[in-house]
Amino acid sequence: MATAEASNIKRLQVKRFKPDESPKEHYLNAEKGLWSWLTTVDHKRIGLMYLGSIALFFLIGGILALVLRTELLTPTRSFIEADTYNQIFTLHGAIMIFFFLVPSVPAALGNFILPLQLGAKDVAFPRLNLASFYIYTIGAIFTLIAIFTGGIDTGWTFYTPYSAETSTNVMMMTLGIFILGFSSILTGVNFIVTIHKMRAPGLTWNKLPLNIWALYATSIIQVLATPVLAITVLLLAMERALGIGIFDPALGGDPVLYQHFFWFYSHPAVYIMIVPGFGVISEVISTFSRKTIFGYWAIALSSLAIAFIGFLVWGHHMFTAGQSSLASMVFSFLTFLVGIPTGIKIFNWLATMYKGSIDMKTPMLYAMVFLFLFTIGGFTGIMLGALVVDIHLHDTYYVVAHFHYVMMGGMVMAFLAGIHYWWPKMFGKMYSEFWAKIACGIIFVGFNMTFLPQFIMGAQGMPRRYYNYIDQFQPFHQFSTMGSYVLGVGFLIIAAYLIHSLLRGKEAGSNPWGSRALEWQTSSPAPHHNFEHTPVIINGPYDYHKPMAEFQLGIAHSHNGHHEGEKVDVETTTAQEKA
Amino acid sequence: MSDPSAVKGKPKHVKHYFVDSDQQFEASKMGMWVFLVTEILFFGGLFAAYIVYRSWYPDLYLQASTELDTFWGAVNTAVLIGSSLTVAMSIRSAQLNQIKGLITNLYITISLACVFMVIKFFEYTHKFDKGIFPGEYYTYEGIAHEKANIFFSIYYMMTGLHGIHVIIGIGLMLFLVVKAKKGAFSAEYYTPVEITGLYWHLVDVIWIFLFPLLYLID
Amino acid sequence: MSGHHISSAKFLWAVGSSLFVLTFLTVAVTWFHIPGPWNIIVAIGIAVAKAMIVVAFFMNLWWDSKFNSMLFVMSIIFFLLLIGITLLDTLYRVDPVPSF
Repeated sequence: MATAEASNIKRLQVKRFKPDESPKEHYLNAEKGLWSWLTTVDHKRIGLMYLGSIALFFLIGGILALVLRTELLTPTRSFIEADTYNQIFTLHGAIMIFFFLVPSVPAALGNFILPLQLGAKDVAFPRLNLASFYIYTIGAIFTLIAIFTGGIDTGWTFYTPYSAETSTNVMMMTLGIFILGFSSILTGVNFIVTIHKMRAPGLTWNKLPLNIWALYATSIIQVLATPVLAITVLLLAMERALGIGIFDPALGGDPVLYQHFFWFYSHPAVYIMIVPGFGVISEVISTFSRKTIFGYWAIALSSLAIAFIGFLVWGHHMFTAGQSSLASMVFSFLTFLVGIPTGIKIFNWLATMYKGSIDMKTPMLYAMVFLFLFTIGGFTGIMLGALVVDIHLHDTYYVVAHFHYVMMGGMVMAFLAGIHYWWPKMFGKMYSEFWAKIACGIIFVGFNMTFLPQFIMGAQGMPRRYYNYIDQFQPFHQFSTMGSYVLGVGFLIIAAYLIHSLLRGKEAGSNPWGSRALEWQTSSPAPHHNFEHTPVIINGPYDYHKPMAEFQLGIAHSHNGHHEGEKVDVETTTAQEKA
Repeated sequence: MSDPSAVKGKPKHVKHYFVDSDQQFEASKMGMWVFLVTEILFFGGLFAAYIVYRSWYPDLYLQASTELDTFWGAVNTAVLIGSSLTVAMSIRSAQLNQIKGLITNLYITISLACVFMVIKFFEYTHKFDKGIFPGEYYTYEGIAHEKANIFFSIYYMMTGLHGIHVIIGIGLMLFLVVKAKKGAFSAEYYTPVEITGLYWHLVDVIWIFLFPLLYLID
Repeated sequence: MSGHHISSAKFLWAVGSSLFVLTFLTVAVTWFHIPGPWNIIVAIGIAVAKAMIVVAFFMNLWWDSKFNSMLFVMSIIFFLLLIGITLLDTLYRVDPVPSF
């Protein structure tokens, strides 16, 4: 098959493999039955199982949010007690962050798409991948047990000394998060090795899709940061169980040290949450502008820069905590630096769209929403990074609005863009473009209604996590609550048309968007082993000026190593075949 | 396809998503190194706590360290270094297709690891007898420092977590012995031995730092 | 087969012996009173040397892909960042409010 030359250049015979537009067999029906799903090592099925789980947790977290917002309609007690309120916002935060955002794009979308974009048959360690999923599930079960046996009311940040002393079930919750951390770590390990070792022939680093670069940077963060979270929650658990005393001042410890350990993970964690979204946006914007990405290396390396600098800024969560002013000044300065790579990305995406042939389909709509909302979120983050401004704004609704703009207005919008983009590849079905756009509009309006007033409230002094508030804030809270209901409606509409698509959607075809990316050069839904051939890459992933046929090349066998017994006539052509 | 992990023309141990044995071996090694990175950061948190408290209470560390027996700490260090040597020898045996040598060296490594744990057990019980317990159960009067319990809490956390890793290592190596006896390993395929060896060496490296930092504060 | 460096038994024993010697050295330096902070620097220095020997010659990083070495170095760098920047806080706590 591969004829070795005297030099180091390997020559491969390639031919074009047009994907099957209506595949009879694909990964969804390759093995049947519940057991085949529970024991699958197919990264696509594992990705779907993650997707279902995170959708469930998003629903739970969202309902908790609606309860919170409803309670905040009146300045005093509306319908729940203060202690219950504390538990609800703790759960809302913990569930949204640990069970939805951190696994969302990496584990759900990433698992599905990464090997496809690399031209690999699976990840490097498929059984480890399945283990990651089950570890996630077990962590989730521990958390659910914690909720039903005492709850937790410390805030998702579990600050000591309260978390070491409260009678709520911090132990179960921290154990749940400890276990969950392993899921994150093992996914990171899998992705790093897969990206290094399992790229298709011709897929050099400078031809990698930017989504892969983003997942690579995310995996690096996951691998370096999550262990520190693990030791932090372990120490907290020991603090509670044995009274270790390194965080509790009553026992001789230092609560600020806890915050250092906690935020050393949790700040990079927010980059785990957003950087994969950046990868999705790169893919979507390029595809729907039908144009090569502007500044490929700038975007690729900025993901790595964010990963690195993101580890240096954690103290900006602690400006008012009692850390030394030297540390505060250093952290504030470094925080300004971390905005630069992200800004570079935004400008490059805009430049990609300039003079492109914009196709305003739903994924692109969400990408636009992302650009708008995330820019606001990012700006306000830099404002919070200014040390003196933060003294006033820390622990107010300004912070709440900031992180909802970046996490929901940014990451969730990017996630929705990714879902709507890759839905045809996952299920071979299209959804209703009409209802998708309606939902997008509703979500955009609802989101701004909910969170824009919170910036104003926060700047005027409304503290976060407060159950009661003074009358002057009531109009803001009420408007915000109305917005949250609108948001809820938008998500319900999404659920409705996506389910409808599964049952009765139009057949998608292999490449409904006309993308040049590798995952679109195989049938929809994807075949069991991703490709019926070994793909060969000769162009960059965004080379829209090259003909489609050049993206569908594969090693000139009839098989991908699985049907070695079959004999099929193979045309003997050398190098590339013209379309 | 009947057995997706076996492909005609490739050795049995090569999974279908890998091209050849080398790619699989290199991928497994890289994966293990990435995991070791996480272990370094995991213990790193504890070392950070140690450093912070030592910078705040240097006298405490000086006094409390006298309660730790340098001799047995040194013996344990030598035991672990010896076990690193024997696990390296076991990998070498596997590479040379000497399965009996592989199993023997694994047994020696496991024994040395058990010696380590026994010594640790006696160290711990000796402390318990004096009332040196972790956290709020600390009752020892012998150290004239109000934060004495913190030093020992850190000591127990670091050595305890390390000990758990030793036990996990023993378990992994017993598993390897079972597989080796069934003929699972050869010069062509000894990846699990290699990556378990890497794990074990890291456990050794962590102790190499724990020993002077805890026992030899002078 | 690439990446399958096989050390000779003699070499492995030599590496082990050097580690035993360094361990003895680690204890021996505590018999002499070295003024701080040099005592800590010497102790850590010897520990680092031992760790490097294990990592390079028992874990085979000396003959392995450079990327695996980079992984190890990266973990150390981030560990040092964790400690270093935390110390920027914990060592400088008692400073007065800056006078500007």
